[in-house]
Amino acid sequence: MLQSIHTRATHNLSAAATFARNYRARTDDGALLMHLLGGLSTAVAFVLFLRGSQWTILPIIVFLATVAIGWRRYQAELVKGLTFLTTVATVSILSLIIVFLLLRSLPIVTEMGASLLTRTSQPLWGQNGVYALTPMMIGTALTTVIATTIAAPLGIAGAIFVSEIAPRRLREIVKPGIELMAGIPSITYGFIGLTIFNQYLYTEFRTPTIGNYFAAGIMIGIMALPTVVSVAEDALSTVPESMKNGSLAMGSTNWQTTQSVTIPAALSGVSAGVLLGVGRAMGETMAATVMLSHTKGFPTPVFDVFTNYGETLTTVIAFEGGNASGLHMSALFAAGVVLFFMVMVLSVTSQWIEWRMHRKLGGENA
Amino acid sequence: MSNVERTGLATDESSVGDLLPSALIAAASVAFLASWATIFQWLDETGTYLGVPLFHLLGGSLFVLAAGLVILGLGSHFGYIDGTPSGNAGMTVGVVFGLLWAVVGGLVAAQWGGNAPVVWLGGAVVFGLLGAGAALSPREDLGSTLPIALLLAMVGYVVVAGHINAGWTWTPGWTGAEFPGSELVPALVIHGSLLGIWSAAKAKRGYGAQGRQYGAYWLIGVAVFSMLGVLGLLIAFIVVQGLDVMLTGASLTGGSLHLFGVSIPWLEVPFVTNVPGGLFVDIPGVMPAVLGTLWLVLGAVSFAVPLGVGAAIFLTEYAEQGRFTQLVEVATNGLWSTPSIVFGLFGLAFLVPRISGGNSIFVGQLVLGFMLLPLVLITSREAIKAVPDEYRDASAALGVTKWETIRSVVVPAALPGVITGIILGVGRIAGETAPLLLVFGGSPFPSAGPQVLQSFRFSTTPPFVTNDALLSPASALPYQLYSSITAGVFDPPAFSSTEYGWGTALVLLLVVIGLYAVGVGSRIYFRRKLHNE
Repeated sequence: MLQSIHTRATHNLSAAATFARNYRARTDDGALLMHLLGGLSTAVAFVLFLRGSQWTILPIIVFLATVAIGWRRYQAELVKGLTFLTTVATVSILSLIIVFLLLRSLPIVTEMGASLLTRTSQPLWGQNGVYALTPMMIGTALTTVIATTIAAPLGIAGAIFVSEIAPRRLREIVKPGIELMAGIPSITYGFIGLTIFNQYLYTEFRTPTIGNYFAAGIMIGIMALPTVVSVAEDALSTVPESMKNGSLAMGSTNWQTTQSVTIPAALSGVSAGVLLGVGRAMGETMAATVMLSHTKGFPTPVFDVFTNYGETLTTVIAFEGGNASGLHMSALFAAGVVLFFMVMVLSVTSQWIEWRMHRKLGGENA
Repeated sequence: MSNVERTGLATDESSVGDLLPSALIAAASVAFLASWATIFQWLDETGTYLGVPLFHLLGGSLFVLAAGLVILGLGSHFGYIDGTPSGNAGMTVGVVFGLLWAVVGGLVAAQWGGNAPVVWLGGAVVFGLLGAGAALSPREDLGSTLPIALLLAMVGYVVVAGHINAGWTWTPGWTGAEFPGSELVPALVIHGSLLGIWSAAKAKRGYGAQGRQYGAYWLIGVAVFSMLGVLGLLIAFIVVQGLDVMLTGASLTGGSLHLFGVSIPWLEVPFVTNVPGGLFVDIPGVMPAVLGTLWLVLGAVSFAVPLGVGAAIFLTEYAEQGRFTQLVEVATNGLWSTPSIVFGLFGLAFLVPRISGGNSIFVGQLVLGFMLLPLVLITSREAIKAVPDEYRDASAALGVTKWETIRSVVVPAALPGVITGIILGVGRIAGETAPLLLVFGGSPFPSAGPQVLQSFRFSTTPPFVTNDALLSPASALPYQLYSSITAGVFDPPAFSSTEYGWGTALVLLLVVIGLYAVGVGSRIYFRRKLHNE
């Protein structure tokens, strides 16, 4: 074990040394200086910004000057360095999000401990400095399950239609239509859900309150549909044409081919699409914020989706974030952390599935 | 793809086997649409249509479906109707029918045997096994019609006989909600007609592989067109609700456009060009919010596009594919799926205390830029990857350096894809609300738009350039819509708060759809151009 770590470390070190030597040999002294100056000024600017200093502007000016001079003398090296910086910036945004969410949720975690995520008895939220995320987690779970039961089958059907069944002309109408569905602002969905769907359920089904998990879940499902369709459709269309042709040449129908060749081959990609759709449904905020009743508690039985309680992890942040402070704010950040990590797990899992699928189908498409 | 559609010779006997299923599919489609219309309350559930009460029509259509399916199944079984049925109806049919009959069994047992789990669970299991067995044991022509015909006939009977009518309600113990017959019957008919369509479509192509394909395509087609129908309804509803408000006082020639000192008649839409309130404003408008949205989008684009495109160039052109690019890819996709409200929290924790100390346009721009960044990066990367390697090789063979190649060959070739991605991404963030609640919004109905251009100030003390307008909160279309939904404090004399909201929603929708139309149109245009070359 130790041995292998050691050899790996030496290997990495020597690779890094080779890289550095090559870099040194291929780069002019001036360009080297430019890279150094650019990197250094960015780092200093970041540190100063982090500390909220008014002097942040100085390293930025140095950076801009370096870029201006570099553009005239070492354009190629400058662009390489700049594009590298942008890549690093992208990754660091994600790490900054993680760090700051964790930092700000620390107070409530030290205050509440594990009961933040497990407490089921009153008081749940606000009294005596007690904040428990349990009711919101149940709420998120309920809306997500409802949304998924709508978005997954319909989304897969849509993907099969677009990639396997529809003739080209029809596809050129259906696909942009579904994309447009993803583009309609979520607040608009919420407004319609609030004025029509909530009212409809309240008058026809006599739900205890206007607004419940069922209505919000269905609206979120409609909103998560396009994500499932487009990712699953991508997966279906990566299945090599030769695989399908082989099946068709054996005399099977198009549908038999879709059923027993295309879908099994693309199954992992399709499930990745469903996972991403679930992620979207979990993170959906505005429609649920507008439609739910914002009372916190546990429905009895737990699957009673018409209950008068209604709060999810996202809605509590959106609804109370504007005027929260102290421990309350920290609890909202904790809700953000829970949300973020659940969605991140879904995202990473779906990427891993897709990566495996590409390796499996390999050959001409990889 | 296979173009062999029919194997049998067309004969006179097959015309029944061809016409009857078509008629059944048509009838079931009408029942399907009529049920939805009932749920949407376009049809009166207690009303009389064609001289018959609506529910009798709906229930009767299930009867007709059931009878037709029996004729089709038996006709095929005794050889009167041509077909190529398989040995049994297949596992999917078995599972679906089994589950349906299990539900029936559970309900029947609970009705007559009481609510004990043993009773209804037992009924469900027995009926479910029976249903699955009935579907799977006979030949396909019987197995895929008879069990479903029996089920449809039962449901049809219950509806027509009035056991479930508009006034009837089901009150299950586990929830406070009630389920009235007026909504349950259409729901039952929707599912019944779907099953009928499936079964009849299979019969139309004579069962077997062809029949199953036809049946499956019908089901998928219905699902997809229902989706598009929902989309159409949503948009139509917003337009219907918002159009009157948006066009209040509007005229084609009422306004004037000042061009080179000459004023010519021009469109006048006061709702779009006015401010929300004030002494001399008859028709309150959304101008400040439109300006706010424009500034937000502008800032987000100028932040995210250089970063995203730069990173995409580095990842595809410079970086060696390996651990690092993989890490970036995971991070980008992670950013893409991060919920928007989390971006808002991040802006609140990281940017607000360091930049403005409160809600501000600038922070809103940055946060939306963070959200736009992964979209720009992913689409730009796809576009750059799609540039054929031959282009790069040809350029390199001419002795052109790498950077020159990227600048004058790769980026121009990828530009259409990049632009399309940016437009689609902008369409997405223009309607984003959640992060704005946390980092951007001030008074939702301000009396003036942000004066960003006029408020740049230069000084000799750091940070040398300040802009108060950028560092103060403002309003944007989606934010204003949220406020008119929730707060309801704003009641201009001309409209109610809700009407004002619908008007705002329509303007927002027009902005977003306009961006999408441009994006999709440019994609189609560039793709055509690429294929013609």
